Amino acid sequence: MSDPASVQRREVEPQEWVAAAEAAKADGFTFFDWLTAVDETDAADVPGLDVVCHLLDASTPTSLRRMMIRTRVPDGATLDSITGVFRGAAWHERETHEMFGLGFEGFDDGTGRGLRPLLLPDGFEGTPLRKSFVLAARASKQWPGAKEPGEGEHTKPTGRRRVSAPGVPDAEWGPR
Amino acid sequence: MAPVDLPLPRVGPATDLAPQPIRVVLNWGRRYSLWVFNFGLACCAIEFIAASMARHDFIRLGVIPFAPGPRQADLMVVSGTVTDKMAPAVRRLYDQMPEPKYVISFGACSNSGGPYWDSYSVTKGVDTIIPVDVYVPGCPPRPESLLQGILRLQEKIAAETLSTKGIRGKYAAHRTASAGEVTRGLVRPPTGASS
Repeated sequence: MSDPASVQRREVEPQEWVAAAEAAKADGFTFFDWLTAVDETDAADVPGLDVVCHLLDASTPTSLRRMMIRTRVPDGATLDSITGVFRGAAWHERETHEMFGLGFEGFDDGTGRGLRPLLLPDGFEGTPLRKSFVLAARASKQWPGAKEPGEGEHTKPTGRRRVSAPGVPDAEWGPR
Repeated sequence: MAPVDLPLPRVGPATDLAPQPIRVVLNWGRRYSLWVFNFGLACCAIEFIAASMARHDFIRLGVIPFAPGPRQADLMVVSGTVTDKMAPAVRRLYDQMPEPKYVISFGACSNSGGPYWDSYSVTKGVDTIIPVDVYVPGCPPRPESLLQGILRLQEKIAAETLSTKGIRGKYAAHRTASAGEVTRGLVRPPTGASS
């Protein structure tokens, strides 16, 4: 899939992360849109988390410029926080921290309370957007309908190969 | 705040022996005056709103969509995805409704979790936290489905006996929370905050 001409992409090393954000801001990308992570811990070359940041340059009304900065953080390492560059990144870094368990060095949102949970309910354990997080719903409660094509009452079984998506509990969790 | 005793309203000591015409009249009053409280959590709420507007117009069935709050409502329609974080609020507002109270679960998400049933954050059906009278299936259901659900609920209310024993057993027997426990003090702005 090709990007539209208005999108620029940059791939940086984790240690250049803050510098890349600062450079983009100096280049006119002053609107911080979002920041999130992608679980790439099963990648062949450098397993880790892809952290992606989307910035906009809205200074010219009819020609919006967009910038995607991406870095691959090795599993278990931390990334420098860009809250010093964009204050609005604090919520996004807190969310990325609770969803992926990624630490942000030097995180500062002005409260001094550090990376605390943002969205998850109190007492939630685990990092739910990682591929290793098991979605225990299938193990704990029987789904009343068909989970796969061909399982229903009125449909014939298909010859389709069963795929197991990340997060689906395996056979150790008991029959389902 | 001290707990306030809120007993279920009674018709009288001889309710079990009330003659059929009295039953019909009282149930008739209940079924056609359902002040509804819309717990709109997701896209199903849009269909609920459509059902309340001019084309489908459920006021003609006696469902009044402008309850000032849960304390004035008879019927709660949970329309949308209930998350584990929202579940305590659903339960809290349900507890604030006066009895007799009815719940319609509207849409796949509130019936069972729907397409988000695998999710880490979605409650697997609102019936895991509150008792549900009528389930309306669909994703989202059309407004006509809600009208059918309301008709089903009204049939159910018409068949009720005046004895509150069954209602108490179903709704209130397991519940010991008092009004004081579901009320909390006013939140004050922090001192020193500028206007």
